[in-house]
Amino acid sequence: MAQDNAPVANHAPMLWGLAFVVAMFGTGFGARFAGLDGIWTMIVMLPPMLLLIPLIRSTERDGNFAGCSSPALKRYNRRGLIWSFSYVAALFFAISVNDWLKPEGPLLWLIAVLPALPIVYFVWGLYRYLVEETDEYLKMRYVTHALFGLGLLLIVATVWGFLESFKVVPHVESWMAVPVWAIGLGVAQIWHRVRGS
Amino acid sequence: MRNRLKVLRAERDWSQGDLAERLEVSRQSVNAIETGKYDPSLPLAFRIADLFGLPIEDIFLKD
Repeated sequence: MAQDNAPVANHAPMLWGLAFVVAMFGTGFGARFAGLDGIWTMIVMLPPMLLLIPLIRSTERDGNFAGCSSPALKRYNRRGLIWSFSYVAALFFAISVNDWLKPEGPLLWLIAVLPALPIVYFVWGLYRYLVEETDEYLKMRYVTHALFGLGLLLIVATVWGFLESFKVVPHVESWMAVPVWAIGLGVAQIWHRVRGS
Repeated sequence: MRNRLKVLRAERDWSQGDLAERLEVSRQSVNAIETGKYDPSLPLAFRIADLFGLPIEDIFLKD
């Protein structure tokens, strides 16, 4: 029988992912520890953000090698890079304008909602992936991972919400929803990978 | 659901990648179907049956 070209375990995506998470959290905590203000925090967070590029590239290479890539998945990854960097740029711009102009009224609303726009694009990207993906197994797998992320988000938000109501823990901003969901998605992907399915 | 995909593929000396290419799906999909981790939809099952020139029930078997 012809060779099935069973993939050899490639840890590059996981290592890049780990480097990204460690660098982002490390820089974030470091900035807070150093007492940096909003803009400087954004500036020092930029280099770790660049780790997203090798992370996505290695994920795509791994996908090609393991036979679990598709044109829709590649477009989804490209959109992922676009919204991630747009998000950082929009946040940087919003914080800068807010610090310098101290806007009020409608302008403040506009500035405040600006960083959320790339997230709207991200949600649209999720929808487009599910529409464009013609490989039903890859689609089912992604939906399973996304639902795991959603489940984690619902549990964390509910538990934290009640802890907050009883004044046990500090308030957490609701924009943390996307990172928590993304962590859930990543954990589900890693779990799938470790199980070899 | 069990299936005879691996045997049918072996008879033709096709790799999983060859079959995936013919079905226009990922190799992971073929692997998942073969190993019973994923049951294909009816349209994909029909495509598989057409490719091998067999009725669906000759490829996919009840547990």
